[in-house]
Amino acid sequence: MTIEHHPPEELIARFAAGRLDPAEHIVIAAHVAMCARCRRFVAAFERLGGAALEAAEPAALAAGACDAAMARIDAGDTVPAVPRSRRAEASGLPRTLDYYEIGRVRRVAPGLTMRPIVVPGATKSRAFLLMADPGTRMLEHTHTETELTCVLQGSFSHEGGRFGPGDFDLGDETIDHRPAVGSDMPCVCLVAMSGKLRINGLLGRLIEPFIRL
Amino acid sequence: MMTVLLQRRISGHGRRSGSLAKRWPRVKERPEIAVDWSGLIAQIALRGDREAFRRLFEFFAPRVKGYLLRTGSSEAEAEEIAQETMIALWRKADRFDPATSGAVAWIYTIARNLRIDAVRRGRRAKRMLQDIEAEYRPEPVESTETTHGRSQEAAHVEAALQRLPVQQSEIIRLSFLEERPHSEIAALLGIPLGTVKSRVRLAMNRLRELLDDLK
Ligand SMILES: [Zn+2]
Repeated sequence: MTIEHHPPEELIARFAAGRLDPAEHIVIAAHVAMCARCRRFVAAFERLGGAALEAAEPAALAAGACDAAMARIDAGDTVPAVPRSRRAEASGLPRTLDYYEIGRVRRVAPGLTMRPIVVPGATKSRAFLLMADPGTRMLEHTHTETELTCVLQGSFSHEGGRFGPGDFDLGDETIDHRPAVGSDMPCVCLVAMSGKLRINGLLGRLIEPFIRL
Repeated sequence: MMTVLLQRRISGHGRRSGSLAKRWPRVKERPEIAVDWSGLIAQIALRGDREAFRRLFEFFAPRVKGYLLRTGSSEAEAEEIAQETMIALWRKADRFDPATSGAVAWIYTIARNLRIDAVRRGRRAKRMLQDIEAEYRPEPVESTETTHGRSQEAAHVEAALQRLPVQQSEIIRLSFLEERPHSEIAALLGIPLGTVKSRVRLAMNRLRELLDDLK
């Protein structure tokens, strides 16, 4: 599996600093988990983060904070286990999604379905899985804001190239694309989207109200 | 102790540039001989060494708090996360692997994950972290990496950072880790606002190149 398309460095940097919108965070997490190259970038950032921490202006804690911490440790203030979500084991979804509740399959358009992902704390974007039948040709569209995509299975192509498992694609208002799904197998993508899809052309304008994304 | 070294280099640069010198006055207070933080963490793992914990707490808790205040946390949140970072350090001490990340970077990731947790679950909720940690882990498909492979990988990353010019690691830190607005960075470094953006870009590209070269 060769990953050819990576997220822009700025997004990986904000992921490493823990400052991405939660929906965007899970898309970058899925890519980074599959991509050794970007993991190295995250590791470098974490080291720079350590340097920033060391250089930070110290701010005194409340008196007795260390004893209080030890008391909490002694009291065996245990950490509860996070329940894993009930997603189907066989679904082949990345482990980074293990703890997310994933909604029911909804039909979007012919050959296209989606499953919303419940993302706590997301304000800017929403996340979902997008499933397309082999050979589906999407309508030419643009985005009013941004769309982050990580391919989990199958492939799609557009003028930016071919995108297979692990590949990352960024769409924004400047990109006019019309992805075509590979003909050999269904394509599953993890998507974080802010703003709206805008379908181009007359047909697009007619059906736009019916596209449920 | 790459991070310590890096810190020294950056600090040295800071002293020269006047406006930055003020930002690192405590460099002098730092012990000349680097403290073996990893060794102290190992002592906690091996025998629940409270003295080691206290030393780590005294150095890191105020810095975690200071760092969080600097990057927008409230006083209460920063205090809470600083304390929880140290409690998590105690609990996870046996899982710390000095070969794969420096102690300081490891503590940074704990604080980062706790802050993500606070955003997701609210400040008052019980901290859990397993889910967030799972989001920074390699997917099993590629995790055939051995301990040897992991430490080699860590050495590559460290070597790349050593080769990153000080000016570039500094601008990355100011922009992404200290989250300063570009206008503030421009004032700090005494460069035009427009230059900040291009320097950030250049620094990121350079870091990528250095990391790619070391394959
Ligand atoms: Zn990548």
